[in-house]
Amino acid sequence: MLEHLSEGLSLLMRIDTFVMTGFGLLLGMAVGALPGFTTVMAMAILLPVSFFMDPLVGIPFLIGIYKGGIYGGSIPAILINVPGTGASVATTFEGPALTKKGQSRKALDMALFASVIGDFSSDVFTILLMAPIAALALMVGPPELAAIVLFSLIIISGTTHGVFVKGLIMCAFGIFLSMIGQDPLGGMSRFTFGFFELKSGIPLLPLLIGVFALPEILVAVGDKTTAYIAGNKSIIQGSRLALRELTRCSKTIFRSTGIGIFLGMVPGVGQVVAAFVGYAAAKKASKHPETFGTGELEGIAAAESANNAVNGPTLVPLLTLGIPGDNVTAILLGAFVAQGLRPGPQLMVEQAPLMYALLLAMLFANLLFIILGYLTIPFFARVVSIPKAALLPVTAVFAFAGSYVFRSDPFDLVLLVFFGVFGFIARKLQFDVTPLVMGFILGPILEYSFGQTVNLAGGDMVSYIVLERPIAGVVFVLSVIAAVTILWGNYKKRKKSLAGDLAKNHGD
Amino acid sequence: MSLKRTCHHFFAVLAGALLLAGTAIAADYPEKPITLIIPLGAGGSHDVNARVFTSIIPTYLEQPMIVKLMPGAAGQTGTAAAVKAKPDGYTLIFTHNFIDQLQPLLETLPYDTTESLVTVARLNSAPGMIFVNADRPWKTLKEMLDYGRANPGKLKFATSGNWGATMTMGALVMIKEGVDVNYIPYKGGGPANQAVLAGDADFSVNFPGPLLPLEKAGKIRILSFSGKERHKDLPDVPTTEELGIPGSYMERIILAPRAIPEAELQTLRNAFVKMYEDKTFLNMMDKIGETTDYMSGPDYEKVRAQQKVDYQELVKKLSN
Repeated sequence: MLEHLSEGLSLLMRIDTFVMTGFGLLLGMAVGALPGFTTVMAMAILLPVSFFMDPLVGIPFLIGIYKGGIYGGSIPAILINVPGTGASVATTFEGPALTKKGQSRKALDMALFASVIGDFSSDVFTILLMAPIAALALMVGPPELAAIVLFSLIIISGTTHGVFVKGLIMCAFGIFLSMIGQDPLGGMSRFTFGFFELKSGIPLLPLLIGVFALPEILVAVGDKTTAYIAGNKSIIQGSRLALRELTRCSKTIFRSTGIGIFLGMVPGVGQVVAAFVGYAAAKKASKHPETFGTGELEGIAAAESANNAVNGPTLVPLLTLGIPGDNVTAILLGAFVAQGLRPGPQLMVEQAPLMYALLLAMLFANLLFIILGYLTIPFFARVVSIPKAALLPVTAVFAFAGSYVFRSDPFDLVLLVFFGVFGFIARKLQFDVTPLVMGFILGPILEYSFGQTVNLAGGDMVSYIVLERPIAGVVFVLSVIAAVTILWGNYKKRKKSLAGDLAKNHGD
Repeated sequence: MSLKRTCHHFFAVLAGALLLAGTAIAADYPEKPITLIIPLGAGGSHDVNARVFTSIIPTYLEQPMIVKLMPGAAGQTGTAAAVKAKPDGYTLIFTHNFIDQLQPLLETLPYDTTESLVTVARLNSAPGMIFVNADRPWKTLKEMLDYGRANPGKLKFATSGNWGATMTMGALVMIKEGVDVNYIPYKGGGPANQAVLAGDADFSVNFPGPLLPLEKAGKIRILSFSGKERHKDLPDVPTTEELGIPGSYMERIILAPRAIPEAELQTLRNAFVKMYEDKTFLNMMDKIGETTDYMSGPDYEKVRAQQKVDYQELVKKLSN
């Protein structure tokens, strides 16, 4: 393998590869930063362009768009609380708060470094352990997926802030919303009340933008607008990230990267879950969990390194079996095939030097991105320094445009406004919308994989899980243990604080 | 392919990609970009096929063709939009036979595709293949079907989702042969293939593109091929015709609202005819592993009518 690696390295040493990778990175970053324009769209549009390039130029170009795009999504999440994709939702927990504190540059820098570190490590891991990852991916079927999603849901719910019951209500409502439309297994319509528009279900983007970004604007309108504008002439961007701030988060980045790599090996889970779990785990491990949610740089590091670390292992089923795990890898499949490289079991053998060159190109894309990202962040950070009087309408335009371009369906704008008002009311009543989004995203995965498991079991769940799916069984037992531990911890904490209150009352 | 031509196409693609209107000033139709609705998601085979032909067709239409992805409700969201579109030739839909002809039979939809849409061209057609994991004991389709008949409900069929392309193709065979199988829906053909490779499911149906490398590596065994003749790379695999079972194809088709003016429809149809003489196009389709068996609009209209009859029968049998 070492010999293939060095051969690949020598193939890669050409200027056009680097230029096009850099071009792809910047393009991806710009597209990702525009809410509603997804990385997948940008890649699909530019796919035919890559057909006319050498494989070692065209594919790194697309990889550049991909990597740049994922980071790009975190820019509006941090600056204007508009998550461009599901993967950047967890970034909105800390990003906008940091921006308000005048530390938007630090937040953007942290997101960049955490993303690149997570991505780079996961790529290295993938190159070294391709065969074991491929074997593991085949062991994860619907039963294992269901168990892992359940486990993730419990871990994430255990760390949401605010009143636990309110969180549960929102989570349940999110799951309900995700069930509107066609049921994923039988294809029957449910909860649509005969509206054809609801048949395809509620799309993610209008909901995301609605509950996160619109309340922001409505709150500003609610607070006397003139006073609001006068009081916030412009937000400062703040200074750049210091090295010691990065090293302080090294443990978190390391942990999140591990979580991301693991979840990347599980087909069908993806970046969204990784970001949530990475964030939850960092909060759980922190000595000062109370700072989370108020603009904690560590939270950004946790979410961003986790969602990027998913990238490496998701490529494995594509490269070893020719099976794309998601839309991005499906487009990469198109690019490979068009270059005469049919991904499959023999590709890594027959075309070893070229394939290793492409894998190394991913590593180089990461290194290049550190430089390009660092140089362009000041340009993006300037967005917040325009006066609030202009920033709020701009946010509104992005919110509406972003919801529309995804499906080009005017009905999505109705949904956007509905969720905007809903989010505003929820905020006023102090309901956190995060569990809602989480339920909305994870609910369908859980439902689908559970339904498949029931089908696969053919009517005898217990013996199927115990005899044929021991891994799923173990993860399921672990979820139960995790739930009990969290409940026990909460109970003890409450008892302690109650006792504390009592003692204080006595003291008065 | 000359360098000049390559450059020409490269820039045609780039121009289309950047949504720039063509420079040619056409006297009549088309005088502005044409929208192509795809009722399916980004990155799927329709998306990839469309990216190829929409990068070439502007050469013959003198206007770009812009892809508009409208996924949702198993293709119904995009189809509804195409049916409702103004029949001026500026909105087309790129879909497949199961969305077009099968779905309207399964549920009440607010549109009638046969009445509202007319074929511009069939881009190509992908022949279905039934395959099993190589460690399964069945060497032929007959052995598998016999096992299925002896053990009703035991055979697990990984489908690409309810009434998706692969489920329908497999169901046609299973119903004809009277085999009761356990249908397990996956999110698309890729995950269904993976389920067979992992041994979670017994068999599935897919197309040559993704299956040939797996077969070559000895991971799967292909039991049937939907084609008039045997596949050149699989001389030992019998065709569906030899086996006496219904062949099944996914037909990728371009449709327009039926009320489109005759002259506009002709212009579109002619552009596709010319595109099929374009070496670059044929080359690119070959590179992405797709067939180029073009069928003209009027010819495919006949196929469509026959599909309606066939699918009605299929649905009647399945719902009994």
